[in-house]
Amino acid sequence: MMLFKLALRNLIGAGTRTWLNVFVTSITFVLIIFMSGLYQGMFESNKRIMIETEIGGGEYWHPAYDPQDPFTLEASHGLLPDAIADQVTVGVATPILITQGSIYPEGRLRPVLIKGILPEQQVVALPTSTLSGYAGEAVPVLIGAGMAKTTKLKVGDTFTVRWRDAHGTYDADEVEVISIMNVENFQVDQGQIWVPLERLQQMLDMPGEATFVVASQETNLLANPGSWRTMSVDALTEDFRRIMLTGQAMMSMMYLIFLALAAMGIFNSQVLSIFRRRKEIGTLMALGMPRGRVIGLFTTEGGLHSLLALVLAALYGGPFMYWTATNGIPLPFDYAEIGMLISPRMVSVYPAGLFVSTTLLVTLIVTIVSYLPARKIAKMKPTEAITGRIN
Amino acid sequence: MVRFLIKGVLRDRSRSLLSFLIIGGCVTLTVFLRGFFVGFLDDMLRQSAVLLTGHVKVTTRAYAEEADLLPNDLAILEVDSLLTVLSAEYPDLFWSPRITFAGLLDIPDENGETRTQSPMMGIAVDLLSEDTRQPELWDLAPKITRGRLPREPDEVLLGEEFASRLEVEPGETATFIGATMHGGFTTYNFRVAGMVSLGVSGIGDYFILADLEGARQALDMEGTASEIFGFYKDMYYDDPAAVALTAGFNRIHKRADDAYSPFMQALRDQNQMGQIVDIAQIEMWVIILIFMTVVTIVLWNLGLMSGLRRYGEFGMRLAMGETQGHVFRTTLGESAVIGLGASVVGTAVGLLLTYLVQEVGIDYSSMMEGYDFPMTLVMRAKVTPDCWFIGFIPGVFATMLGTILAGRGIYKRQLSQLFKELELEA
Amino acid sequence: MNLLRRSVIILMLSLIWPLALSAQSEKVPTASELIAAMDANLTAKTSIVTSRMVVHGRRASRTITSKSWVEGAEKAFTEYLAPPREAGTKMLKLEDQLWTYSPQTDRIIQISGHMLRQSLMGSDLSYQDMMEDQSLEDVYDGVVEGSELLNGRDSWVMTLTAKKEGLAYHRRKAWIDKEWLLPMREELFAKSGKLLKSSYAEEVMQVEGRWYPKVWVFKDELKRNSKGTEWIIDEIAFNQPIPEAQFAKAALRK
Repeated sequence: MMLFKLALRNLIGAGTRTWLNVFVTSITFVLIIFMSGLYQGMFESNKRIMIETEIGGGEYWHPAYDPQDPFTLEASHGLLPDAIADQVTVGVATPILITQGSIYPEGRLRPVLIKGILPEQQVVALPTSTLSGYAGEAVPVLIGAGMAKTTKLKVGDTFTVRWRDAHGTYDADEVEVISIMNVENFQVDQGQIWVPLERLQQMLDMPGEATFVVASQETNLLANPGSWRTMSVDALTEDFRRIMLTGQAMMSMMYLIFLALAAMGIFNSQVLSIFRRRKEIGTLMALGMPRGRVIGLFTTEGGLHSLLALVLAALYGGPFMYWTATNGIPLPFDYAEIGMLISPRMVSVYPAGLFVSTTLLVTLIVTIVSYLPARKIAKMKPTEAITGRIN
Repeated sequence: MVRFLIKGVLRDRSRSLLSFLIIGGCVTLTVFLRGFFVGFLDDMLRQSAVLLTGHVKVTTRAYAEEADLLPNDLAILEVDSLLTVLSAEYPDLFWSPRITFAGLLDIPDENGETRTQSPMMGIAVDLLSEDTRQPELWDLAPKITRGRLPREPDEVLLGEEFASRLEVEPGETATFIGATMHGGFTTYNFRVAGMVSLGVSGIGDYFILADLEGARQALDMEGTASEIFGFYKDMYYDDPAAVALTAGFNRIHKRADDAYSPFMQALRDQNQMGQIVDIAQIEMWVIILIFMTVVTIVLWNLGLMSGLRRYGEFGMRLAMGETQGHVFRTTLGESAVIGLGASVVGTAVGLLLTYLVQEVGIDYSSMMEGYDFPMTLVMRAKVTPDCWFIGFIPGVFATMLGTILAGRGIYKRQLSQLFKELELEA
Repeated sequence: MNLLRRSVIILMLSLIWPLALSAQSEKVPTASELIAAMDANLTAKTSIVTSRMVVHGRRASRTITSKSWVEGAEKAFTEYLAPPREAGTKMLKLEDQLWTYSPQTDRIIQISGHMLRQSLMGSDLSYQDMMEDQSLEDVYDGVVEGSELLNGRDSWVMTLTAKKEGLAYHRRKAWIDKEWLLPMREELFAKSGKLLKSSYAEEVMQVEGRWYPKVWVFKDELKRNSKGTEWIIDEIAFNQPIPEAQFAKAALRK
């Protein structure tokens, strides 16, 4: 403890020199945490959007369903296995039926997926309730903002949609856009229209059938739901997580560069301290302080840079990070056009682990660069050191 | 005088070596950071430009309106004459026609009967003419996972995931089934030259890369193209220039009364690339600015410390009758010499490092353990013209600034005090 | 060609019936009588047809020439003669299967599933439209609703409603010329009652003593500004012997 107090006093006594190093280190701190937090936040918020609007707590797929291959759709519909149907009954899962069709907005053909969903569902955050209570003649449809943009459709527009029922018979009807949703997730937006499930089942002559079922986040995903396949959130977000990981690798390169910079400053400062204070070192050793403790003293002094930096970083970085974590940084993107998952505000997320790991990393590096010059002390002869000579 | 200073710097290495190393290190890091960012951004833009947007892109106006449906019946018909015009009017760019098409890919068994069949999406670019730069832009050679590059117009590359799903091997036939640009039914035998892993998520599942001439034959599109991509010859996307060029082209060539007149879009106009570019640029400069500030602080501290180290010497010099101003000026001169020298060396090292990362890249696949990436992940930097001088800003100016700030000490302290320091050091 | 065969045949499938009917002061025929009458005009044991299809694209129109050999409603073989790009392409329909051969690939490929729903040669017809070969009488309930003037000519109006599931079109409505006993116009409806496709005879001709459409126009009614696809019969011969080999898969490669 004495060593620590002494080290702290020495360090602060060095004045500007110390504070400059501390400031540089603190910037490194803030930057690493801020950038990681931003990135983490982006990942979390995109994942959250995906979970809320699309995948909930996981999905159950009809055995033939492969979202990558639209041609499998024709065969991928069926009645729900009992276990899943039970979850649907109590409202913790919601079935979705998909078929391929064509729409003719402005009389131009455009292939789409027609998706049927229960208007009253609470499992995914889509404004499906707008689908209920429609009194008009046409089939009510809900579309995403991106789809609306590509097709130039507005609320109240009607157009023809054509599909084939379970038996292969063509059918067509007028549909009316009753709502346009901003869901920030192109997977539930582009190239598709949403209609009430029962209406679609009726249109396709597939009563009670679905293509897949989304489970709510609050429920436990069934491991063995009969013949259907369970898809966990992890499995469904796998691709997406990979993309984020590659980005993270990029960032760590930048952290390294900043850390290197801070380390250089502290290293230099240590070299100077030891050079200027060799008499003091000699005196300490002459008075009987073991070499190890002297090295410890100087290493602690250097290492304390990271502690001070942490305090300083908390002073100015704290409020800034708090702001980015609560408010978020607005992005000027129009997700509807960009064709990727993107949230309109980048809200940073700073998990506790991030602080711990960053603090450990910075402290470790700072301590190492403080120790390296201090090793020199080990070679000093007290007699020479006390006269100010150094070898 | 300068010679004297240089001699001093060289002979008394204790006074210069550490500073030299640190300044050099800072300069190296600055150069590398800049190169690294540009490389990153460039990678991103390049991927978009090569795959989707070009630096600029020409289509018919009608095609642009429903581009997501791949309407090849609205393709550009007189490609060669348009290419002549484009090459003459915009010599800074090179122009490359391409066809984007969709249909089915059918793999026959030994009897010619269908073995497997799947929907596919194809991009056809000029892979084979003598002066084509497409294989280089796509960076195909290292991305071939099996087989080889196409050598004939009817040879194609399949996305690795697609090929594994179809269970097709290099050398096999893959029949394209689809529609010609006129809507006619067409089948065309491509030969699978190899598999490619582009490293862009999702694209490999249904992807084939064909030669332009092969696709033209397959789709009855002789002399036509879905789109013509323009790229700056140095592959560096110059946003303002591209926007101006686009506006100029459309003023002359786009005609309101003809839906099939050519229409140009810059990279920025497509898929909101504009905002992505802007944000990335701003982000990059903010980080570089922060970095430069930090470097300046480090070097300020360095100046402070080397000043401290030499208070004894200053005391001696002042005692011998040198004026404070002279001591200060020579110190400043020294730091300029050190800063300049360190910047030259630091820049050289930084450029070398950047160049190395540009050419070899940093393979970070191992960081992605537990994830099955179909390709090797490589970070690349890029040596840009400003890499040559950006390091001098912190290297010379920040060093001198640091010396000036530290040098106040010479004026502030009294001669006697400095002399005392000398004693202390002796 | 198939297509020709199909629609024409089918549509026509219905027409002829010698018909004293018409002469007999307006006795309203039953639907089956009407279908039988049209059939007499349109169907034959075999027919060999040379025809042109004019497809109007958004930018240009194209004419595709083909020759078809048809036997009953189940077998049809078509060879494309022009334009050069399509020349040599062949299609063989045997009951509900369709194969295609193109000389460029020297491969015989079966067209199935979703591909059947694609447009035939860029026209307003799908492959499936020409695959129908069930007798209208077997799968539809017909009702003759009365008479109407169509282009100034007296016609019967008949509606056909699907008797069973799985037909591409749920309901059809046809206008049958009382004198020629040819369907002069047909409309195809979705289950919901929405008009999907329409077709009409623009010109008729007399061949081997029967009336036959000369120019037939198809239109996809959901596409706005569709100019339709014209189908022009240049030559047709009925009941000529066609060797069985013509309808073998091997014939595709010849």
